[in-house]
Amino acid sequence: MKEPLFGAFRQARSDVHNLGPLQRIAKGTKQYRDDEEVDYVIVGLGSAGGVLLQRLAKAGFKVVGIEAGPFWDTELDWVSDEKGSHKLYWNDLRITGGTDPLSLGENNSGKGVGGGSVHWAAFAPRFHPSDFRVYTEDGVGADWPISYDELKPYYELLEREIPVAGPAYFPWGDPHGYPYGPHPLGAVGDVLVKGCTKLGIRVCAGGPVAILSGSHGNRPHCIYRGFCIQGCKVGAKASTLITHVPEAIRYGAEVRELSMVSRVSMRNRDRVNGVFYFDREGREHFQKAKAVIVSGYAIETPRLLLNSACPGHEHGLSNGSGTLGRYLMAQAGNVVLGRFADLIRMYKAPPAHALSEEFYETDPRRGFARGFAIQTVAPLPIAFAKQMMAAKGAWGWGMRRVLMDYNHWATLGVLGEILPWEDNRVEIANEKDQFGIPVAKVTFNLHENDKKMIAFGVKKVTEIMRAAGAEEVVQESRYAHLVGACRMGSDPRDSVVDKFGRTHEIANLFVCDGSILPTQGSANPGLTIQALAARTADYLISQGERIFTSDRRDMTTPPIRYSLAVEDSFTKGVPRFV
Amino acid sequence: MAEDQELLPVDPQSGKPIPRTKQPGYYPRYSTLSQKKFWDATTRKLIEERVANIPPIRFFTQAELPLITAVTSRVLPQDDRLAEYRIPIVPWIDHRLFENEIDGYRFEDMPDDREAYRLGLQAIEQTAHAMYAKLFVELEPLDQDAVLKTIHDGEKRAAHEIWSRMSVDRFWHLLVQDCVSAYYSHPWAWDEIGYGGPAYPRAYTRLENGLPEPWEVDEQRYEWQAPASSLSGAYDQQAGATDKPVHGQGGTH
Repeated sequence: MKEPLFGAFRQARSDVHNLGPLQRIAKGTKQYRDDEEVDYVIVGLGSAGGVLLQRLAKAGFKVVGIEAGPFWDTELDWVSDEKGSHKLYWNDLRITGGTDPLSLGENNSGKGVGGGSVHWAAFAPRFHPSDFRVYTEDGVGADWPISYDELKPYYELLEREIPVAGPAYFPWGDPHGYPYGPHPLGAVGDVLVKGCTKLGIRVCAGGPVAILSGSHGNRPHCIYRGFCIQGCKVGAKASTLITHVPEAIRYGAEVRELSMVSRVSMRNRDRVNGVFYFDREGREHFQKAKAVIVSGYAIETPRLLLNSACPGHEHGLSNGSGTLGRYLMAQAGNVVLGRFADLIRMYKAPPAHALSEEFYETDPRRGFARGFAIQTVAPLPIAFAKQMMAAKGAWGWGMRRVLMDYNHWATLGVLGEILPWEDNRVEIANEKDQFGIPVAKVTFNLHENDKKMIAFGVKKVTEIMRAAGAEEVVQESRYAHLVGACRMGSDPRDSVVDKFGRTHEIANLFVCDGSILPTQGSANPGLTIQALAARTADYLISQGERIFTSDRRDMTTPPIRYSLAVEDSFTKGVPRFV
Repeated sequence: MAEDQELLPVDPQSGKPIPRTKQPGYYPRYSTLSQKKFWDATTRKLIEERVANIPPIRFFTQAELPLITAVTSRVLPQDDRLAEYRIPIVPWIDHRLFENEIDGYRFEDMPDDREAYRLGLQAIEQTAHAMYAKLFVELEPLDQDAVLKTIHDGEKRAAHEIWSRMSVDRFWHLLVQDCVSAYYSHPWAWDEIGYGGPAYPRAYTRLENGLPEPWEVDEQRYEWQAPASSLSGAYDQQAGATDKPVHGQGGTH
């Protein structure tokens, strides 16, 4: 097969905005003037910001999403290429330190509409009920101000909206099934299933992932090309860029791309009145708004609130307690790599397609609190070479040799719950970015419980890899995901926002993203962030004009608004549960 | 200088050097570029430009250029490739540094990437001088490897002033990561390792058991040993890696 039947594929249409190969919207969005007061400004259009934008616009609010990165055209901007996808990540400077410094950038933060959901691997497990009461059960970490049951309907709704493919019966946490059927396995998933089965460990194949196993409206199903974390050109993997932002625009929301918010502006000591931002030419603007929602994720959100310090809020906004920036978390993401005599070719199939949560909960016999999940990962060649540098000390001819064996290696990830610690934090550094805005300094230290959990997790995954038949097993230490640093809680003395994301000190300033998570479980945070965003949106909508005029906090839980879900979520495609 | 033959990988059966080739590796005649008409137009354009347009040297000085070239020729040796099929490394490192493209962070015990390269090259030169009283570029390949191995191992044989300002381990990681990023982003390297490359809109269809697509080829292994004039063929954990793990920097999940 040397030639495509109809010749080479031509460039996609440039007169429309392509969001996947089939979904096209008109170029450009509505434009509010800077001095035109909007209802809501959302800072950052990632996993949370995209959902909020859609919900608030659909409910009739005047809403602008201000995004530091571009509004991607997936056909014209994205490539099936590892190196060429570097632009999807947050590559602006941050300083990283502590005893166990986090590598940032491509490992965990996105830039551009869709944010991190553009380059997540799309594992979409729910948190377990125990995650919401870690302090009560284990005496470590923190309790959430809400229970699993309060978030459950939003999990169920988002699993339909984005939607999630997975097993008919998922046995861990609160057992449940998924609307779309599981994916066929690649060879890495086979390794996990084989190893777990030999050792009597329950394992789940083919999901849960927010990747389509069947076509869904104007989104085609997965073609198993393995470039999930490079941005899914296929449109099969969910990102808010393709799931929620198009409908937000249809309902009149504005997407203001390439605009970097530098600080939130206070009208007086108690209320905000908009944000200052720099446009793509570096000109400063002020967008007036009745309320502001910061959705910049675990580093940029605390950075913005700290940089917004002003008279009356000398230590940053909603930081009277000194909690802002603290309790930052990353999950242990150690990768265990096994070489097999047979071929694997791990670049095929989505990196995320099989997992086990058998070790998720606390087991006192292990000598540490909480646990970890085990998930398939699948580095492309450059990432694999970097892992071999770390795992085997490979360089020179040794690097060339082990890469010639790339197709014989399979990789499994530990995804472990590192607890929230006060000394893991985001602060402001002396350095400034290209706009003159002080950058974030991130400090990260592993604590005793974390180290024990990681050692146990690596040992367990190594056993699984051996049981699956690997001849050589090595490991690389790393971290995955970032959450915390603006945590939610009931007590203003040790949290930044309340259970609806409203800052404790400023009634019309909200935070909604991964930064509000008090603990992180051993589940990938994406689905939980989107579920929380839908819940916050329901709260804001049910409060209506009171958000803009009153300082009173109504803590009544709002009803879930199924009518605000993305149109036809329950009718397009062929979900197996109705 | 070492005999040309000593630079080549060796056939362990015959003990003889393996002749240079257009495409080393276990997938003879496999070509990802031959499939480019099946790629989407944006990806095709990017990869074609990567192969055809090598960026000019704008960051490294004329004095630094021979040294960084010699260093990267040992960190990612290509002596087994015919000269016209070697993959450019230095131009891409230079391009990144000139454009100041960073990965989104700087370790607090590191200077910025540009300064790190300038200091690191000085440290390599000082180490070569301390060990052999020669310039790095004048050393035999085996001795060049010995110099680089001290940095891989985190040994500070010389350049103590520089290593007091910059982590030796992190400098090594920076250098190796830039080299592998340049090499393994090139379609000729994909052919060498049997990686499928871009697959949109066509898809991969044979997901299990490492089966090749109709347009991929089966593996045909051969044995080879690293050249006699090298020290990088063996795998040594970096010093201290057990108590202070080396953290990876490429995204996987």
